[in-house]
Amino acid sequence: MSVVTQPSPADVRAVLDTVPDPEMPPVTIGDLGMVVEITVSGSKVGISLVPTFSGCPATAVIREEVAKAVALLDGVDDVTVRFVRDVVWEPERITARGHEKLHEFGIAPPGSGQTLIQIGGLRGGVRCPLCGSRDTVVDSPFGPTPCRSTNYCRACRNPFEAIKP
Amino acid sequence: MIDDPRALLALALADDEHVLGARHVQWTGVAPHLEADLAFSSIGQDEIGHAVVWYSLAAERTGTDADALALGRPPDEYRHAVLVERPNGDWGYTIARHLLFDLAEDVRLPALAASSWGALGDATGALRREERYHLLHARAWLARLAGGPPEARERLRAGLATAYPEAVGLFEPFAGEETLLADATLPVPSHELLARWAAAVEAELAPVGLAEIVDRDLRPVTPGGRQGRHTGDFTELWTEMTALYRGDPAARW
Repeated sequence: MSVVTQPSPADVRAVLDTVPDPEMPPVTIGDLGMVVEITVSGSKVGISLVPTFSGCPATAVIREEVAKAVALLDGVDDVTVRFVRDVVWEPERITARGHEKLHEFGIAPPGSGQTLIQIGGLRGGVRCPLCGSRDTVVDSPFGPTPCRSTNYCRACRNPFEAIKP
Repeated sequence: MIDDPRALLALALADDEHVLGARHVQWTGVAPHLEADLAFSSIGQDEIGHAVVWYSLAAERTGTDADALALGRPPDEYRHAVLVERPNGDWGYTIARHLLFDLAEDVRLPALAASSWGALGDATGALRREERYHLLHARAWLARLAGGPPEARERLRAGLATAYPEAVGLFEPFAGEETLLADATLPVPSHELLARWAAAVEAELAPVGLAEIVDRDLRPVTPGGRQGRHTGDFTELWTEMTALYRGDPAARW
């Protein structure tokens, strides 16, 4: 007798925790706190995500990658991924594991001391992810992706990025 | 032709962001230095992202899709203010328009948050979070140019004097504004937002001694962009920004 398994939302969540962000590959969609809701109804899975920034050009790729990964789960026939607009993404949504991986990747995670005032005043205080010094300056609130600022460490003389507050 | 007032409102908001975003990214590769280049590229990308949000809302009302609305309409169906279609000009004008536009967003988005159109109100949250960085950038450059050498200050002043009368057009009443006010889709009338914005601009410019460019006479805004009336500057920009889409509207990327 064959048993048709139905995935649980936790199974789906476990998959989302492995789908890399296209612009920061060591960090996953789950790590970044982009998952808003998972629904499972029979073999149909619905996933709601929130983009980190509205203008994120990676959303189409993320939608495809997520659908592809979840479709590989046993008992899944249909995956719908949608981006919601009624949730505001904030860096606080990034998980503890996400913090660790950002740090390893050389991006200062939230909580490294960056504030809006520092960004405006271009003063330092963000902990350098490379050497740990706080003798740093904000070069620009804008970086290679909308969610990152560019900074410079005066102690180890390296440029680095930080997740914007 | 679209005639649903809610769809037209979303289109006007979208077109403002889309067209200014298209102008901002024209600085990519040619701004005065690398950080400025990166900043306008990023701000332009944000604005185009915000346009996608508004176009998607309009598309839900009209049964079309965001790309068709963004790129598939003739120029006289665009509802943006003339201000945003103007070429970037010099750095002084660019910064002046950037400041005046982002102050307008700062006045408009909180007002829209209370809209009876729930999806529209909800969408303002993420946009406001992102707009904070735009205003930071505009203010940093305002301080730098206003406090800079005489030529920098003069170019900024000239830019503000040119941009201000057209920035007023951001508060031209929307098509169907009376209907939108009656059902509280618009919680605040455009002329009231104009007054709030003019006060915000004055508060911003007074400390640097440039408030003289603010016109305190809040007469009704002349019909223009919101009615689809544009200048040759837009025809030129439209031709460029829609070229690829018009080449093959059904293409998949």
